[in-house]
Amino acid sequence: MIAYLTAIATLVGVRALLTLGLNVQWGLAGLVNLGAVAFFAVGAYTSALLAVAGTPLLFAWPAAIGFAAAAAAGLAMVALRLREDYLAIVTLGFGEVLRLFLLNEAWLTRGANGVTGIPRPLHAHFSGQYDVFYLILVLVAVALVYVALERVRRSPFGRVLRAIREDETVAAVAGKPVFRFKVQAFALGAGVAGLAGILFAHYLAYIEPNMFLPQESLFVWLALILGGSGNNRGALVGSVVLLGLLEGSRFAKDVIPFLTGVRLAAAQQMLVGVVLVVLMIRRPEGLLPEKPGPD
Amino acid sequence: MTTMTRRELLKTGTTAGLVLGAPTLISAQSKEPIPIGTLCPLTGAGGSYGPDMQRAVVAVVERINKAGGINGRPVQLFHEDDQTNAEAGVRAARKLIDVNKVVAIVSTWASAVTLAVRPLCVEAKVFVIGVSGADAVTQGDHKGYIARTQPNTNLQGRMYGKFAATKKEWKRIAYMGLQTPYARSFGDAFSGVVKAAGATITDDLIYEDKKPSYRSEVTRVLATNPDLIMLGGYTPDSVVMVKDIYKTGYKGAILAPSFAVNAKFLEGVGPEVAEGVWHMDRAPLFDSPAYKEFLAAVPGGDTGPYAPQAWDQITLVALALAAGRGEVSGTVIKDNLRTVSNPPGTAVYSFAEGAKLLGEGKKVNYEGASGSCDFDQIGDILSAPFIVQQVRKGKSERVMIVNP
Amino acid sequence: MPPFAQYVFNGVVTGGILALPAVAFSLLWRLLRFPNFAVSTYLTVGAYVALMLNVGVGARIELAWLGALLATGTVALAVDRITFRPMRARRPFSLAIASIGVAFILENIVRFVWGNDFRSYAVPVTRATSVAGLRIGRDQVLILGVAVVLMALAQLFLLRTRLGIAMRATADNPLLAAVKGVPTERVIGWATLGGGALAGGAGVFLGLDASVDPLMGGGLIISVFAAAILGGIGSAPGALAGALIVGIVEEVGTLLIPPTYKTAIGFTIILAVLLVRPTGLAGARG
Repeated sequence: MIAYLTAIATLVGVRALLTLGLNVQWGLAGLVNLGAVAFFAVGAYTSALLAVAGTPLLFAWPAAIGFAAAAAAGLAMVALRLREDYLAIVTLGFGEVLRLFLLNEAWLTRGANGVTGIPRPLHAHFSGQYDVFYLILVLVAVALVYVALERVRRSPFGRVLRAIREDETVAAVAGKPVFRFKVQAFALGAGVAGLAGILFAHYLAYIEPNMFLPQESLFVWLALILGGSGNNRGALVGSVVLLGLLEGSRFAKDVIPFLTGVRLAAAQQMLVGVVLVVLMIRRPEGLLPEKPGPD
Repeated sequence: MTTMTRRELLKTGTTAGLVLGAPTLISAQSKEPIPIGTLCPLTGAGGSYGPDMQRAVVAVVERINKAGGINGRPVQLFHEDDQTNAEAGVRAARKLIDVNKVVAIVSTWASAVTLAVRPLCVEAKVFVIGVSGADAVTQGDHKGYIARTQPNTNLQGRMYGKFAATKKEWKRIAYMGLQTPYARSFGDAFSGVVKAAGATITDDLIYEDKKPSYRSEVTRVLATNPDLIMLGGYTPDSVVMVKDIYKTGYKGAILAPSFAVNAKFLEGVGPEVAEGVWHMDRAPLFDSPAYKEFLAAVPGGDTGPYAPQAWDQITLVALALAAGRGEVSGTVIKDNLRTVSNPPGTAVYSFAEGAKLLGEGKKVNYEGASGSCDFDQIGDILSAPFIVQQVRKGKSERVMIVNP
Repeated sequence: MPPFAQYVFNGVVTGGILALPAVAFSLLWRLLRFPNFAVSTYLTVGAYVALMLNVGVGARIELAWLGALLATGTVALAVDRITFRPMRARRPFSLAIASIGVAFILENIVRFVWGNDFRSYAVPVTRATSVAGLRIGRDQVLILGVAVVLMALAQLFLLRTRLGIAMRATADNPLLAAVKGVPTERVIGWATLGGGALAGGAGVFLGLDASVDPLMGGGLIISVFAAAILGGIGSAPGALAGALIVGIVEEVGTLLIPPTYKTAIGFTIILAVLLVRPTGLAGARG
């Protein structure tokens, strides 16, 4: 049972990291990114491909994070000129196009085969209790990123971003280079998402394009909104609750007899949809609301 | 939330400590059930195949337990849905291995899932046997903990090519493969053989899964005027594809795998559209008692090639454990698999038969419902004959056998 | 090499089917001020209602289609009353996210009842006839014809009827329209009913032209969005033009890029339009 819980906890940690990344973009800067899974995938694939080609992880990991951030900056410079609901569909489309790219450009990404044999860091040293080591690694990463992001939030950079989120025109009038700040926030969030992807890839030791479906982005959003958007603590709480819900419902089939197979999967997803709708109507600020007023 | 997890952890921690302390080898004296897991796609792309595979395994286990179990111990099955998704498969496998403590996982389907759970199982010394076809599944270092009852895609491609080459009127051939980990390897193996026989490959297209219409793909391929379209997909996409091809008025031939052109396919496209479609697959041992028993026990299970394989997989695992004489673990299975499945030995067609002979110290050779089930060193099935059929007036008729 | 015209024709048919939800999506966006992602799922709902009537009950496909129009319109209305009406004053983003939730729910209700398998209507499969070198299917022509008629009716409705004019007035300036006595909620109700019905009807066409499965509508959302944006939010003729262009470009695009990248075309169109001329072809207020 312990190893099972360790595994779940590791995956929750990875998702929590991804949610934190999204929170930089949305919670801090007010940018709608419906393609969160894209940078998660970029981080995962970049690191996996580099590592499998022989690059030492010490170089592969920062390179992957940097690449995810750079790709995000590129997309941001093009897409951030758009209004909120336009940006949403653009990022959604980007997420889907990226997945198609991963699936089709097999010469680079190994296509539907996926990347196998991704090396796991320090495997030789901890072969006995490797899963526990990895869980600790992930938890440390989450903790460090959380602390760092909290500091960013309180920093001048963070304050400007929040000002931009509240009212862009005012911030611009005050002389802030709004566009540049937004691109930076977007890139930062993507870098964190990329880190989550790296930890994901090296944990599973195998990745393939269908692990990065558009609906994963929606689940991250749900986690964020559920926990309390704008809020790093909320991001963590939301991830834990959401994955707990999804994983826990696996055991529902043992209790409710007709709820198997497609029905269980459909019911789970319906639950996600219902929670999303109810949240948006009743409590858009989530479980742990941010201090100032929400919607 | 955190308090609950801590409490839960504390509780399970103590029990885990006791259980983890005990070795996985349990003495022959105990009547402890033997845990075995199934990891099938009950939802997702493979969702139409999983349920039958699971049914087949359940039917075999009922028979095993009725016959007295494995060395007196009953088998206890644990079922999980991998959702045809590698990550979900990993989480499900973790549960089977760590919570249910299975010694083997049978009837995995998607190559992506098998590839993803392979490292975990090898590390936990849990034996995995499934139907995944991608070449990578049996490659690399798996220490013998993996096997499959489905011929690898390279072999499959070559056999289809061999058949296509026998039809001299098929000079221009187009390949349309569903996007899977093995579409490329199949296509290349197939093309290699037909090209060597003098045909031309006019187009080679990998198409996306789950599209409601393939009109653009079909338009492109038909522009090259093929005599034959080699279709490598599953039932859902093949139904759409073949209908789209029919709608364009194409008068040439179509060759597809039998697992795609099954009863569901015929229902989906109707006899008029399906008329003349060629299909082939590894020939099950139709006359084998195992196949007959399988059909009787799993009605409707022959609509795909996977349920008979699942039947064989669980039987093989059980026989390998029976040969282990009391010890029960994934390692025992891996060590005894080939001794119960490959010649030499008396041919047996069910667990009951085989267990009896093993009990008498004799050597057995299981011949299954899906084939002779003889494995090579890396876990691949040794080559097997293929059977070619054609749909005529709404029914599939056997036309010929292609030998390797 | 088939004539270029074959690709264009295929694109026109796809575009024709796309036009119906695109118009609904575009007008509702203008009226309600948010992109309603559930519109593409209404296609799915309509297709399955028709499936139930045609295959389950044995009704003729034409009757099943009418049934789908009614049922989907009703579903859309119900969704609006339950989900969007309590949120009228909220920011567009929240409504958009809620609509995604609705799309999820509808898609999974369908999946819960019917499963993931591809299904077809009980209609004979017809072969295409060759006309001037082009392969033209009878169903394709029928679908295109009905779609065009529906579009014409919709446009007539918006221009000539009182309700239609009220709708356009509310879309242009809701405060002014309310002041002038236009019953806003009633207008929204009718627009939702009509939009839902259009989408539902399109779903049946899609099911006829291709297949019926829970993801059929959701898979089109990017193309629908592209068509609406290209045509200019709020313009029905714009949405029609946009849908035809998107359909044709997607088909013709397969000459240059692999068919698997079709979604990418829609996405690229969206990006290009938003960067170059965000108000779209019709130039209406974005």
